[in-house]
Amino acid sequence: MDELNVFEQPEQPEQAQASTEAPGEAPGTTKVEGRDPATVRLKRAYEAEVENKVASDYSHIVWAYGVIWAIFAIYGAILWRRASAQRADLAALQAKHK
Amino acid sequence: MKYIPYALLVGAAALFPYCVQRVFLHTPIEAEMGTAQKIFYFHVPLAWICMLFAVICGIAAGVQLRRRSERAEALAVAAGEMTVLAGVGVLITGPIWGDATWGTPWTGDARQVSTALLWLVFVAYLLVREYGPPNSERIAAALAIFGAIDVPIIYYAVKIWKTTHPQTGVVGSLPQSMWNTLFICLAALMMLSIALVWIRAAQARLAIALDQAWIAADTQQRAAQPA
Repeated sequence: MDELNVFEQPEQPEQAQASTEAPGEAPGTTKVEGRDPATVRLKRAYEAEVENKVASDYSHIVWAYGVIWAIFAIYGAILWRRASAQRADLAALQAKHK
Repeated sequence: MKYIPYALLVGAAALFPYCVQRVFLHTPIEAEMGTAQKIFYFHVPLAWICMLFAVICGIAAGVQLRRRSERAEALAVAAGEMTVLAGVGVLITGPIWGDATWGTPWTGDARQVSTALLWLVFVAYLLVREYGPPNSERIAAALAIFGAIDVPIIYYAVKIWKTTHPQTGVVGSLPQSMWNTLFICLAALMMLSIALVWIRAAQARLAIALDQAWIAADTQQRAAQPA
């Protein structure tokens, strides 16, 4: 993430420039540095790439965690059913003995 | 003793939300793999649990072969089921993680293939146990022992062959915060798996006792009937 900060230009020089108009510029305008379209496009491309990676990672994590919980939940349900069947079997055996 | 598995289940249920909170809020994001690396905290403990119960199943099956012990038989069946269960988890979460980080879910490397082999052997073990003819438990026990032998192959696969999996020492090289999270997740999954194996082994023993009781009841009934 730190490499993205390379494109963040320090604010102070800009502010300093805004207050002092450079010679040769039209009156009422100031030169803005570090905001040229190419840099902005590059920065947005980086941001979109990171956003896609994070979204993709999140979907993979949701699937992986979902699968783990589902497996254990299904096995728990199978054990529960087996226990119920055994209780019924035991009751049938006891009824036969009576 | 009867309440130990239920106490473990309660402990695991209490620990799981803390694990998830810790994984996502208190453990740093790995620099190279990004957020997808969070799968690691359950994938690796599941793999360890799969291998541990494969070894336990193999040993219990060996004891069952030698001593005809019902306790060992029940433990072998329960451990075999846990191996298959954890194996499913590993074989699904691994490719999901691989797809996110390697760009492909399956590279066919030695560790993946040997883990899939272990899983198949234990599926075969359970199928033979469940649907095999009488006395097939000896063949099943042999399969479980064969499966247990695969465990060291899985462990050393990354050292013997060139694989996309990291080396075995990678866990030791983790930062302290990741290491702590991994072992808390391992504790939660271990508590859950021990509880489930305990309950399943008790069910297997009860099933054996019920079978014997039904046979005894039928024999008694036949003996009581007039010829």
